[in-house]
Amino acid sequence: MVCMIVKDKHVSASEFGSRTGWELKPQGLCKGDMCVPAPNVANSQGLIDVMAAAERLNMAVVTDPATAISAIGPEAMGHSLTTAVAPELELADVDGIPFKLSSLHGRKVLLVAWASW
Amino acid sequence: MPGWQALHETYEDKGFSVVTVALDTDPGQARPWIEAASPTHRSLIDPSHITDELFGFNNVPMAVWIDESGTLVRPAESASIESSPLRGAPIPDDLPAPVRELIGEARQIPDIAAQYRAALVNWIEHGASSPYAMLPDEVIEASLPRHQSHSEAAANFELGVELLGRHGKQAAQPYWRAAHALDPDNWTYKRQAWTMETTVEGEPSDLFQGPTDVYEGSWLGDVKAMGGGVNYITKPDFVAD
Repeated sequence: MVCMIVKDKHVSASEFGSRTGWELKPQGLCKGDMCVPAPNVANSQGLIDVMAAAERLNMAVVTDPATAISAIGPEAMGHSLTTAVAPELELADVDGIPFKLSSLHGRKVLLVAWASW
Repeated sequence: MPGWQALHETYEDKGFSVVTVALDTDPGQARPWIEAASPTHRSLIDPSHITDELFGFNNVPMAVWIDESGTLVRPAESASIESSPLRGAPIPDDLPAPVRELIGEARQIPDIAAQYRAALVNWIEHGASSPYAMLPDEVIEASLPRHQSHSEAAANFELGVELLGRHGKQAAQPYWRAAHALDPDNWTYKRQAWTMETTVEGEPSDLFQGPTDVYEGSWLGDVKAMGGGVNYITKPDFVAD
């Protein structure tokens, strides 16, 4: 998931995890069954240096100079999936009611993307 | 939408759920479609197209299959369970030539509905022993490419969505143009941008999609450039040529 950053160059490990799918573990940054060594991306307070983590994970960073808002792209590791473990997906319905994909654990799921256009 | 809802109703007692995600930066455009389908399945809105990044979608309709353990058993690929009734209907002579041409290309898009539905139902009934369920390594290998340019395109697209919300359409345009140039295979970035330029306020999303003064390309022009509608979809490997 893309991480929006507003002048905030450090985020908590849990926020980084929920936004990108990459969790900070002793062996590095991990998504599903895949881990990337990530020395020095977390500071002594446990905050993640977003730019350093993006570099480790080969994520593009694009910044709008006028607003200083940055967006981080997904990890570029050759394939759009780095693991077959389904990522968490948190979105709301049209009335704003939130939903987590993981709540359907134990069922088969067909996840379909469509659009009005 | 009605087709996916009917599928959900038919198989929900067999431990199967449909989740639909509308890649609509303006959720109001998706609302009438959703209300018309009266979904009892989970019907979500994805204004920033994050499911592109999470699952590897690059057009619609596309789908992934997820098993009971939360493991993907098929990667992002084109999905369809009912043939469009427009496929067989004659193209009216009085339509403008570009519209006739667009309908002609759309009809060249392979009709995978019957094979896709059969494969999906086979998996619903047989699970891991279905020949259509892939192993984890096969799913990763069959997922679409993701290189630095794809990541940069995604960041540009999402930055555009953020700026659109704060400062309006013009603030998004340079970033969306960049996204299109970086990942020309991603139709959700292009079609979202085109339709936002050509849709009349208060009207359903324009399906003609370009050309516009703001963005390069158009649905018809880009489809022709890739060799026609026959090449438009990411065909699952079980679909015969």
